[in-house]
Amino acid sequence: MSIYIHIPFCSSICSYCDFCKMLKNNQYIDKYLKALEKEIKEKYQGEKVKTLYIGGGTPSSLSLNNLQKLFSILKIFNLDKDCEITFETNSEDLTKDKINYLENKITRLSIGIQTFNKNIINLLNRKLNVDNIKSAFKAFENVNIDLMYGFQNQTLEDLKKDLNKIIKLNPKHISTYCLILEPHTKLYIENYKPLDGDIERKMYDLIVKTLKENNYIQYELSNFSKKGYQSKHNLTYWNNQNYYGFGLGACGYIRNVRYENTRSLNEYLKGHFILNRENLSLKETIQNEFILGLRKTEGISKKIFKTKYNLDIKQIKGVKELLNENLLLENKTNIYINPKYLYTSNEIFIKFI
Amino acid sequence: MKQENIRNFSIIAHIDHGKSTLADRILELTGAISEREKKDQLLDNMDIERERGITIKLNAARLNYHYKNEDYIMHLIDTPGHVDFSYEVSRSLAACEGAVLVVDAAQGIEAQTLANVYLALENNLTIIPVINKIDLPNADIPKVKKELINNLGFKEEEIILTSAKTGEGVEKLIHAIIERVPAPNGSPQEKLKALVFDSYFDAYKGVVALVRIKEGTLKVKDKIKFMATNATYEVTELGFNNPKPQSTEKLKCGEVGYICASIKSISDIKVGDTITLENNPASEKLPGYKPMQPMVFCGLYPTETNKYPALREALEKLKLNDAALEFEPETSEALGFGFRCGFLGLLHMEITLERLEREFGITHIATSPSVIYKITKTDNEVIYIDSPAKMPDRQKIKVIEEPYIKTNIYVPSEYIGSIMELCQNKRGTYISMEYITSSRVNIHYEIPLSEIVYNFFDKLKSSTKGYASFDYDIIGYKPSDLVKMDILLNGKVVDALSLIVHKDFAYNRGKSIVYKLKEIIPRQLFEVPIQAVIGSKVIARTDIKAMRKNVLAKCYGGDITRKRKLLEKQKEGKKRMKMIGRVEVPSEAFLAVLNIDEEK
Repeated sequence: MSIYIHIPFCSSICSYCDFCKMLKNNQYIDKYLKALEKEIKEKYQGEKVKTLYIGGGTPSSLSLNNLQKLFSILKIFNLDKDCEITFETNSEDLTKDKINYLENKITRLSIGIQTFNKNIINLLNRKLNVDNIKSAFKAFENVNIDLMYGFQNQTLEDLKKDLNKIIKLNPKHISTYCLILEPHTKLYIENYKPLDGDIERKMYDLIVKTLKENNYIQYELSNFSKKGYQSKHNLTYWNNQNYYGFGLGACGYIRNVRYENTRSLNEYLKGHFILNRENLSLKETIQNEFILGLRKTEGISKKIFKTKYNLDIKQIKGVKELLNENLLLENKTNIYINPKYLYTSNEIFIKFI
Repeated sequence: MKQENIRNFSIIAHIDHGKSTLADRILELTGAISEREKKDQLLDNMDIERERGITIKLNAARLNYHYKNEDYIMHLIDTPGHVDFSYEVSRSLAACEGAVLVVDAAQGIEAQTLANVYLALENNLTIIPVINKIDLPNADIPKVKKELINNLGFKEEEIILTSAKTGEGVEKLIHAIIERVPAPNGSPQEKLKALVFDSYFDAYKGVVALVRIKEGTLKVKDKIKFMATNATYEVTELGFNNPKPQSTEKLKCGEVGYICASIKSISDIKVGDTITLENNPASEKLPGYKPMQPMVFCGLYPTETNKYPALREALEKLKLNDAALEFEPETSEALGFGFRCGFLGLLHMEITLERLEREFGITHIATSPSVIYKITKTDNEVIYIDSPAKMPDRQKIKVIEEPYIKTNIYVPSEYIGSIMELCQNKRGTYISMEYITSSRVNIHYEIPLSEIVYNFFDKLKSSTKGYASFDYDIIGYKPSDLVKMDILLNGKVVDALSLIVHKDFAYNRGKSIVYKLKEIIPRQLFEVPIQAVIGSKVIARTDIKAMRKNVLAKCYGGDITRKRKLLEKQKEGKKRMKMIGRVEVPSEAFLAVLNIDEEK
């Protein structure tokens, strides 16, 4: 089983972020952690936990004291002995005391850097503390860095500079995202114009090429890692496997039900955790299998597909056609997207919908 | 009712001059509708009519009026206000003795004003000139009076001023109709002659014919015969609209009403036909009958191929009420099974396409409209084709001829230059120009009908800021140097995009079409060349670049349901697309030629 824990507090709000988050407010954190504990106790059935992911928001924005409370709650979980425990951070929070505290509590640190470019950092309403990042790298072996691209006026040169700085830090894992202008974000409301799709594609191609040259393996559409350092937790999602989501706005997938928690803090504190539940039909589950599985560069294992659904993957409508058109490729074990079409994969996904 | 107390009249006007509002006001003043029943423009039944402000289907209403101690019956026969339907206008005018000519007090005489006056004169009607909308702040009554007097020969004292909006002058108009319009001629003892001026389908009664009794008397249970089609029926119901249907035992000479006779097929009833009694028939038909000829044709295909039966059913239903609509099955390599449809004109086509979508919920693809070409082959065989697909090999063609029209374009004189340029670009030949007033002219050109079908109306509007009004007469076939142009998508001919063009215009049109298609067709996963070719010669080419981005950049645990919805939405957007080979083509691409800008 995998578990996601959502900490919705941040010390500042990024202008592009549409996740479930709010400015840190000490008055609510205690209550929130109590409600979180209640939710976990209600739902968690004692399953063995293979991956635990603490995300946000910004979990690192919690005070040391609150972090201690959080981790004492997490003791309830029956953790596998090599359980992957990821903790999301922002560089300005990574003070010595927090690093020291987290050092033997987690196995994987994720740092949201996004960019080193000062103008863009300002635009995103973010902060950057390079010294903190350096100390974190000394303390943790398995570190992920988030990189964003696709800003107005950003050039390929600008992106290259960011890539080089990240590569120099030598993280085990790099997650990349092109900027998405989501409604209800500051950038969207201020009518920020996205970059032209053709240039964005060039940036993506540059990322894929540069990281490959530096021994990073692309294992998912937007994710790269050194050999053996893929995010086990995120692979749960893309392998269409079950996971619990705990916390405000968190989502979970248990048996054939996908559920979504409320995004209202008041409701959550009252113990009204779940906003809605969706029972997936077999058809929808299989559709998800493709939409998620084909994000991985290795694609979907034919054998696992057969075991899961007792169906030959090639019997699924569209598969043969896509193979004929070379949009999907196949080797002995797997069916996967032709890498040329990863960045236009929606065109392929909708064939399954 | 005494025959001398019957008055039959129509209201004729250029579009938007207030015909329907005036009709409503007359209905109100004669008590045919109460204030409570009042619905704007009561005579226009269809939504589209009300939205577009035009009347497509005719209606006839009976009005009762008491004037100078006498009871009168008046029949108001509505007419469609568009050139596409001029034959129907002429038949409904033939059912009247008088016509109320409505001219907008701000606009003055327009193209259809004149066309309608000529139709009324052909039918020997008494015309009552009315200047309407006199309440408008920009009304120029003296100017419009002058136009009516100088151009149409009315006397100043004949002209009635009204505002249909406020009701001013409408009573006076009704009195004028009673005093000036003659009572119907004919005798109730004569052999029956009833003019069919409209028909429609009623789900309970079958086909209903609207008639004007010209001679004789018609009773329920009479055996009737349609003289043009020779079909015979027994009358099951007679009646008139008041304006709601009201049945009656007989219709007498001079009266207007409807006939039901369990008629199943609308093709048995032709507008303009004469009804007589089977056992006591009239010796000859009323004059003026001609079968309606569709002038504009297009291919019509369901977007989803499994909707073919639904499309057929919808067309059949429309046909019940629209005798002018024609269709026959057609197959396209690109679009599958569909129909070749014939229409009276472009507006008729647009309305029909819109009704298919709106009333029947059928999304469809229409190919660009074509006219009927007359082709003399080298072996002297003459054929008529209504689709580029039916064009014979170039080697086998001796002469191609195409239908020409003669225009009446009414326009303020400062736009003469723009009109001439437009008509020249549309292969027009200048004939003459008349000054209506010192500042307005009527310009006559001879132009191929096919050029009118290609965006002429829009061009006319945009090049005259909407001041021009336009009307035309078909004048016959003339030889033209025409060629068939094919459009290739990804190297393959798309038959539904083929068109017939004049040789001198082929290069420009080909270029515009490929660029327009490039705008309309979204990028695909691979590069798609678009070419325009004549025979084997490529005359224009452009490429649609391959799609570079359509991705969910990130997708984690919380995103899955939301991202799925996004994909579902994208999928929904593709429903209007048709797969042509490997290329997804939006349905509007098939009408691309209509929207090209040749100066580009």
